[in-house]
Amino acid sequence: MSRALAFLTRRKGGDAWDWTDVFTFLWLGSAVFIMFGPALWLVLSSFKSPAQLAEFPPTLLPYEAQTVVVEGFDRPLPLFSVTDEAGTRTLAEVRRVGTVAQMVDPENPGEVQRVNIANRTPVREVGFSWGNYLDPFLRFDFLNYTKNSIFVTGVATLITLLTNSMAAFALSKYEFRGRGFVVVLIIATLMIPLSVILVPLYSIVSGVGLINSLWGVILPTVATPTGVFLLRQYMLTIPDELLEAARMDHASEWQIYWRIVLPLTAPALAVLAIFSVVWRWNDFLWPLIVLSRQEVYTLQVGLNAYAGELNVQWHYLLAMTVITMIPVVLVFIFLQRFITAGIAGTGLK
Amino acid sequence: MGRIQLHDIRKSFGAVDVLKGIDLTINEGELVVFVGPSGCGKSTLLRMIAGLDKPSSGRIEIDGVDVTPRSAADRGLAMVFQSYALYPHMTVRANMAFGLQNTNMPKPEIDARISEAARMLEIEPLLDRRPGQLSGGQRQRVAIGRAIVRRPTAFLLDEPLSNLDAELRVSMRAELSALHDRLGATMIHVTHDQVEAMTMADRIVVLRAGKVEQVDTPLNLFNRPANLFVAGFIGAPGMNLWAGQAKDGAVQLDSGARLPLPSGVTVPEGSVTLGIRPQHLRPMAGGPVRAEVRLIEALGPESVVHGDMGAGGTLLAVLAGQPDLARGTVIELGYDPQMAHVFGADGQRLA
Repeated sequence: MSRALAFLTRRKGGDAWDWTDVFTFLWLGSAVFIMFGPALWLVLSSFKSPAQLAEFPPTLLPYEAQTVVVEGFDRPLPLFSVTDEAGTRTLAEVRRVGTVAQMVDPENPGEVQRVNIANRTPVREVGFSWGNYLDPFLRFDFLNYTKNSIFVTGVATLITLLTNSMAAFALSKYEFRGRGFVVVLIIATLMIPLSVILVPLYSIVSGVGLINSLWGVILPTVATPTGVFLLRQYMLTIPDELLEAARMDHASEWQIYWRIVLPLTAPALAVLAIFSVVWRWNDFLWPLIVLSRQEVYTLQVGLNAYAGELNVQWHYLLAMTVITMIPVVLVFIFLQRFITAGIAGTGLK
Repeated sequence: MGRIQLHDIRKSFGAVDVLKGIDLTINEGELVVFVGPSGCGKSTLLRMIAGLDKPSSGRIEIDGVDVTPRSAADRGLAMVFQSYALYPHMTVRANMAFGLQNTNMPKPEIDARISEAARMLEIEPLLDRRPGQLSGGQRQRVAIGRAIVRRPTAFLLDEPLSNLDAELRVSMRAELSALHDRLGATMIHVTHDQVEAMTMADRIVVLRAGKVEQVDTPLNLFNRPANLFVAGFIGAPGMNLWAGQAKDGAVQLDSGARLPLPSGVTVPEGSVTLGIRPQHLRPMAGGPVRAEVRLIEALGPESVVHGDMGAGGTLLAVLAGQPDLARGTVIELGYDPQMAHVFGADGQRLA
């Protein structure tokens, strides 16, 4: 705690606070607020009940109305704090008619009191609606969606690493006519956005019968120009003498790739793996087009199902948004240094 | 096993001729050093023998078999690279085993060969480390060990000592020579360091601009250089080479000095270059070589004197001990005419 305090009161030096110190802390503080505020609000809101989400003015923390089980009533009754001529007391609501509520004292359930609803406020304390998280998994198909997402992300990443590294190996370690042209061609495809090739790509995927199949999501995405370029730049730094030594050591070209080049490319492969996981996990547009049956939905497409035409189930939507964020956040928290180190190492911006 | 013959090897990169017809025979068990200035094609020639590059024309034979079309792996040679080219992600043991595993050798045999090589090179404690954890000299040994376990017909060493510091280079030089004696295998060693060449080689191949200038034993190269280039390249400090006109058993220099030629040889009159090694000059009052001292490098046991002979001629002399000389004084030196080398106008040796 004292260390945190020392950190937060650091100054650039000197005896007193300089205006630049104040400015820096304000600047950084507002940046933290702008970047983490929405995420924090999302997480807190994901624990709110639908009624509370619709409430105005909104609250920061999720609250739950207190209920009490009263003798003679089947279901728990909500508690209210009532203030009127008779003083302040805590009553449970039996039913409400117009602006008047019929309420009972939990200690004395026989006597029904009539209270104007303007004179009462609900008794609430901080509470979390875990149902927002549990229901999609238990009652809806979210477990299935998660499985699909993990399958798509995992398999697509593996295939991406394999094919891209093979392409990068050939483009970095073999001299052949037109090599530079091929590299430029691959990099040029970076300029073509998905929306441009959406329709022809759909015809192809539909033609080979991969509509409503997870492979239809995986296969069109595995060859990424970014990945080939990133790996190629890294492989260019592997000295050719290593390959020649391996060649003299009776290694076949496949062994050179698999046993020499691939292990040495590990840092760049890690970077590409991180990117690929994030890309595939967050993919929305392409899976939305290819997948139209509930059983093959991925998380992102499944989330979309909560936003109906007339009615948006915000509490589920928010909770599942948090769930889909978790892997990406974890990847960035723990693997951030690999990303920066790896990108710096490949000379890629 | 291990006789390598090169027949008219030529190599061009585009319009540039790097090797211009090399004929060479390397005998079994010989340690041959390719030496020459940077860019003379010595590494290219070695890579050609290794099979890493293909010659534009010519034939390479190993033990009488034409191996020119064969790949590097099928020539039965092992190479030690300048950068050692150890696989950084494998342990020393795995580095040495890699080439043997690829030929499907049984594991006990691999282990036996590795432990034998490790014992020979004293790298047994390092077997489970990675190359990154080794010093330069240790990496060098591992690189040699990786070559030894293959039991190749010949070892090809591409400037293997150039990445070591001066002290280590001297000791590794001796070790490599000892290793050659013990293995009795053919070795081809490429270097630009003539001391390395002189100390290690059975025979030295001096290359310049893609051509063989001379092939001979180290001492023959020193004593009887075939041409001006070899004369200037071999020996440190470099030979004094003075151009002049031969006449009546002596050479008349532009500065006016008359330097006697070796007796018993006939040198035709005309332009020649006289070569005298700095070590063969000695102080002699009234000697034929006169020069003004410009710089003295006192090394202790000997002193290197740089002098100015006038008319653009410079002098290098290695004098024994620590002679009492001051800059600007004129020294007179003499030499044994039998130690002088004479080269004709075409640069070839006359005597």
